[in-house]
Amino acid sequence: MTATLPAPSRAASRSHAPLSRLVAAELRWVLRRPRTLVVLGLLALIPVAVAIGIAAAGAPESGRGPGLIAQVAGNGFVLPVVALGLALTLLLPLAVASAAADAVAGEAAAGTLRGLLISPVGRMRLVVMKSAGVVTVAVLAVVIIAVVGMVAGTVVVGGPGSLITLSGTTLGFGEALGRIALVATWTVGQLLAVGAVALAISTLTEHPLVVLASVLGGMIVFGVLSAIPALEWLRPLLLTTGLTAGTDVLRDPLPLDGLASSSLRALVYVVVGMTITVVRMRRRDA
Amino acid sequence: MRRRWVGAAGAVVAAGAVAAGVVGIGGTAAAQPQLPPVSPEDLVASVMTAQPGPFNGTVGIDNELGLPALPGAPQLGNGSQSARIWSGGDGKGRVALPSGEGEKTLVSDGTTRWAYDATERTATRSTGGAPEQKDPQSDPAGAATQMIGELRRTSQVAVDGTAEVAGRPAYQLVLTPQASERTLLREVRVAVDAEKRIPLQLTVLATGSATPALQVGFDDVTFGPQDPSLFTFTPPPGITVKDAPAREGRPDDRQGPPPGTRTVGDGWDRVIVAQRPAQQPGQEQQRPEGAPDLNALGSPVSGPWGSGRLISTAVGTAIVTDDGRFAAGAVPEQVLTEALAR
Amino acid sequence: MTAATTAPAVGKESLPDAGAAPAARVRNLRKTFGNVVAVDGVDLDIPAGSVLGMLGPNGSGKTTLIRMLLGLTRPTAGRVELLGRDHDLAAALPDVGALVEGPGFHPFLSGRDNLLRAAATEPRLDGDPRGPVDAALERVGLADAARRRYRGYSLGMKQRLGLAAALLVPRRLVVLDEPTNGLDPAGTRDVRRVVAELHEAGTTVLLSSHLLAEVEAVCSHVAVLQHGSLLVSGELSSLLEAGAGELVVTTDDPAAGVVALRAAGAGAYHRDGGVVVPAGTLSPPEVVAALVRAEVGVWEVRRDRAHLEELFARLTEEDA
Repeated sequence: MTATLPAPSRAASRSHAPLSRLVAAELRWVLRRPRTLVVLGLLALIPVAVAIGIAAAGAPESGRGPGLIAQVAGNGFVLPVVALGLALTLLLPLAVASAAADAVAGEAAAGTLRGLLISPVGRMRLVVMKSAGVVTVAVLAVVIIAVVGMVAGTVVVGGPGSLITLSGTTLGFGEALGRIALVATWTVGQLLAVGAVALAISTLTEHPLVVLASVLGGMIVFGVLSAIPALEWLRPLLLTTGLTAGTDVLRDPLPLDGLASSSLRALVYVVVGMTITVVRMRRRDA
Repeated sequence: MRRRWVGAAGAVVAAGAVAAGVVGIGGTAAAQPQLPPVSPEDLVASVMTAQPGPFNGTVGIDNELGLPALPGAPQLGNGSQSARIWSGGDGKGRVALPSGEGEKTLVSDGTTRWAYDATERTATRSTGGAPEQKDPQSDPAGAATQMIGELRRTSQVAVDGTAEVAGRPAYQLVLTPQASERTLLREVRVAVDAEKRIPLQLTVLATGSATPALQVGFDDVTFGPQDPSLFTFTPPPGITVKDAPAREGRPDDRQGPPPGTRTVGDGWDRVIVAQRPAQQPGQEQQRPEGAPDLNALGSPVSGPWGSGRLISTAVGTAIVTDDGRFAAGAVPEQVLTEALAR
Repeated sequence: MTAATTAPAVGKESLPDAGAAPAARVRNLRKTFGNVVAVDGVDLDIPAGSVLGMLGPNGSGKTTLIRMLLGLTRPTAGRVELLGRDHDLAAALPDVGALVEGPGFHPFLSGRDNLLRAAATEPRLDGDPRGPVDAALERVGLADAARRRYRGYSLGMKQRLGLAAALLVPRRLVVLDEPTNGLDPAGTRDVRRVVAELHEAGTTVLLSSHLLAEVEAVCSHVAVLQHGSLLVSGELSSLLEAGAGELVVTTDDPAAGVVALRAAGAGAYHRDGGVVVPAGTLSPPEVVAALVRAEVGVWEVRRDRAHLEELFARLTEEDA
């Protein structure tokens, strides 16, 4: 056995594998997981479905339709914004929660968390590595919806090559791209809040489904709490309160208040979630 | 074992405190700014002559009026709304009324006004009917004195301290009904910007409630030059452009009540009594889908004056009689029935 | 801790390299889960270069002890020292290979891809991990199935893959928790061969099992756990010799035999028609010589290992 591997001197002395290698291995693992691929594929279908629906129904004459979707007609660049907004209500959070569920609880359930810790992957490095995986899923999911949305919006819906805002102004191609990039970045921020909380729950359980159920239940409970007038004071604390702020990129001049406050709220969730994750991972039995 | 949870709990509490600070639920106990004293007359006069110049801001509306829920006009129900406004300071302006999935935009370049409804994808243009101009005040101080004098017959008028509104120091002009006035209103407050002398906030307080029935005011406001392109509107491609019907007869609305309308009483307990115009054939069909059917609102009442339906809100009461009369005012029901009986 | 000292008089083992620090050492190690005491104050040395078999029925604390040794569970009390490190266990872990609580792998990856992922986290590996991975697969006899998905592996194949992961890089200590679980006889033989190879290469092996036969076959040392306490530990041969190595003499005249042996200085006594000579008094040739001198006919002199076997049997019976 000793003959099979002449270990280089650098490797012989270090006590942890390089972080870059850990992150790379994590990303490979995340992106090879069938569940991840299925979820990303489903998310890509959202803008396509909306585009086909609009194209099939024809441009509604009065523009009346279900909310923002009607805005897509003849105005293809709205599609990525609308698709992101639709997905953010449920599917994107679930996609990120699923990644976070697999990251720790899933590894524990498969018995692989032991292997990682014995290797050893330091517990803090494990948090970094797992967070990188969740962030990657969040970014990929948003980028896929945005890019597919832009392509579908241009090809299927068509449009003037510019973006007609809700305020009735027309933005040029460059500014439209900027708005889409802004809403994509903002969406990633909201998802990181979900991801951090989901990761924290993931460190508290060995059952990945508990994480998914918690996030789904949390979104529903938050929605109910927001609807109770007596609990209006609670609204600034609820992540769901700001989830519609992405629509603001379709307004002109661009109002930043909603985007900024919801991003700050998301940041608080990230801080809380990551604090719990770190505290738990330092102590967790595997 | 226990220590770790104490640590975790500490971290969460700390983060929660940050959260509270970030989203501003801690509440900001704004100190009352120190301002030189001013009399109500001087304050009103300065508002009449104020030249605030260009500004933009966000106006918040907190509506607790208690209007009945009207299916066709949910925005009238209790709740909060906000509007973004830009003013060129020279009759040009822009107002954006965002809603969850749409927006209504009003743009005036001084001569042409556009109303764009993103949900309907319709732009409505209206021209003429020059924008409201303040009446040229040759003697603002005199006019203000006259106006305050008028108000004092039924109200106590005072400058009641100062406040900070939208981050700006402001005087609080307070109107309180005289004890003899039979009204549902307790107090009306107007916060006037100490420097620019424009009203920043209007607060209506009803009797029996500590929270305002209606509050309209700036959440934030910034004075300074505005982008001129804000005050022009070019209909985007693919939308419907309509011209608003001509606005004849509108000035009459302002100058006097339409025929068949009279007022009973004055001051806070003034009641408007009107005869509803006879229904024209086909009017029922013209009522937009979902618009309220007034005949179904409120609760039935009757008295020596006849019978009808009573609609009560936090700040006012209205009665629609079965024979087509209508009475409304910021008064209790009894004042209305007295007015109808006359 | 008292288990070791109250255990039957077992001579402290003398290792070939007795001066070397032990590969692992635990002192007064204790772990409780609520009211349940899983490990109750264990003192144990795992001598460097040894193959130590940890025996005990399921639930005796073997796995919990191993998990604390590897830093997977925090001890309630006590101290763990791994490869000479007691504060920073993680610094010793790169040189430790382990298969604990069954193999853990991802079903959607092939066996080889699972090992490649494990290889990425090995501090001791640098460069292309494929060579070591393929070598480890070959070593545990999984080369043919390496590219099949783990999902389709039999229990034995999963166990072999777990073993391969523990052998990815040269180790100073290999910990195998019930390594022959689910293995067919051929698989069991393979595990024994691998353990023997590791021993030959100077690697310390800690192997837990509830089967005496398995421990006897491959281990140089043994430790017996019951109800979280260490009953016995030491070199396997000394335990067999000293701990239970009484001589049983079958003779024509047990009464005369007892008299003769007592005269010779051994505390002999009757049992079941034979004469028993406790260990540690006279050596077998001295016993035979004393009996011959007293003209007592000797039919048979044999070592009685019943004591140790009974102990193990009792422990393993509690299993069921």
